[in-house]
Amino acid sequence: MKKILHAFRERLLKRCSRVAAGVLCLLLVLAIAPPGAGAGIADIVSILTSIYGTLRGDIGGVLNNIQGVNTNVRDLHQGMVWPVALLNQARGFVGQVTAQYRDPMWQIHSLATSSATLSNPSQLESLMRSRQTGNLGGLEPAFQRLYQPVPVTWDAPAMERNMIDIDDALAVGALKTTVVSDQSGNQMLSLADALEQQASKAAPGSTPLLTAQAQIASLETQAFQQRMLAAELRQEAAKLAHDNALRKRSAETARNLRNQVHDVLSRP
Amino acid sequence: MNRQTITRIWNALNSRFVFAAMLVTAILLVPSKAISQFADPCCAVITTGLNTISGLLRNVVATPLKSIQQIQQQSANFEQQIIWPQNAINQARNFAGQAQGQFRQMNQLYQIPVASATLAAPQRLEHTLLSANPQNVAQVSRDYTGLYGPVMSPQDAPQPVRDLVDMSDAEAQAAMKKAVEIDALADLEMQAADKMNQQLQSAAPGSAPILEAQTGAWLLRANAYTQSAMAELVRVRSVELANSSAQLKFSASHAANLRNATDQMLQRGVK
Repeated sequence: MKKILHAFRERLLKRCSRVAAGVLCLLLVLAIAPPGAGAGIADIVSILTSIYGTLRGDIGGVLNNIQGVNTNVRDLHQGMVWPVALLNQARGFVGQVTAQYRDPMWQIHSLATSSATLSNPSQLESLMRSRQTGNLGGLEPAFQRLYQPVPVTWDAPAMERNMIDIDDALAVGALKTTVVSDQSGNQMLSLADALEQQASKAAPGSTPLLTAQAQIASLETQAFQQRMLAAELRQEAAKLAHDNALRKRSAETARNLRNQVHDVLSRP
Repeated sequence: MNRQTITRIWNALNSRFVFAAMLVTAILLVPSKAISQFADPCCAVITTGLNTISGLLRNVVATPLKSIQQIQQQSANFEQQIIWPQNAINQARNFAGQAQGQFRQMNQLYQIPVASATLAAPQRLEHTLLSANPQNVAQVSRDYTGLYGPVMSPQDAPQPVRDLVDMSDAEAQAAMKKAVEIDALADLEMQAADKMNQQLQSAAPGSAPILEAQTGAWLLRANAYTQSAMAELVRVRSVELANSSAQLKFSASHAANLRNATDQMLQRGVK
């Protein structure tokens, strides 16, 4: 719109310059022309009337129209699209909602959920709900204290030891992932707070940047959820594999028993 | 000397040249005893006409132009101060930089090693499962069989049991493969998000919606991947449930066989 108006104004100025130049030339010719040149008063009046008409009708009318359009556009922008009062109201609303909900939600989120009473369970529970990846190093020993380490070679068959080891590893891995997830979740909450803070100070023109930022944050959150989902998939798969391995072992045990019975019966 | 200056000088020379040419022409045309028309009564007409035009230019052209200028100035101020204030735009860009830093910290958290298996076979499987490397998907079956063993031979178990075991192994492996895939996808999504964040720091309010649309598309894609992993999870649980049910069916079948065998033995005893 601005460009169109600017171009129009340029054209108008050019036209005015041309009119002025025309008038100047006319004046010069009249001044130097001899009285017998034949240019009568009627002609002069006619030309001047024509110029007057052009200025009043063509140029003046169009200028009035432009003025009207400009006024309308300004009123539309300031009164309808971006009224300052409503912009301030929206910013105020952001602040109001933040003040009303943020703290109560954080308090709910921070409610303690631990309930173990004995020493070893309490330690493990405390570590796995700590939301601090700095505590990850202590999680595995606490897990072993509570659930015991993998039996030594002579205490269990290799198959069982392997299954115990992978089950424990996947359980510990998933618990560690939950700690990572809790911590990153808290950071994401802080980021949401900061984003909301930015929104309370934003202008309509800066809002698309913040909206895009929020979308990117959502994408990151989705990736974090996928990490958790992967851990859950591993756990469920291991559980299924574990149960299945027990069936295989039962079949193997039955075969061994059958062979032994066969040996006993086939002895003379 | 730039092009604009050259043009300006040329215009000045040009207008002076025209003026000089007109002056020379006038001098040549004027006869020695010419009587100027300014002494003529029609001069009054011209003067009146020109005064009218001058007034007209002032009222009809200059006044609306001034008004237009004022309106445009107001609009420009409004847009610069209320709609697109440079300060707010810069603040939003800076925030994108801060957010990127926080995302990178969060991503590093997910790089902390969580493996803890101690024996050889479990370590191999765990390494493959936590690799987040799609190239390792093919290796899952080998490591899985190495740890949990193959399906038992036909001599060792009835066919229905072998079918159940085979199905369960297949689903467990599929879930493990899907876990590797979804980890790899999550990595790529984080990389893409990082690049988008980088781009956002130099975006304009007019280009930000394009980035927003792209991020929206990525979010949609990520949701679809999550959905796919959720489907795999549901399949694992379905197989587990079916196995529990099959166990009851096998028990019922065994009981029926035992009952029949007992009946037959008892009937033989009666005879």
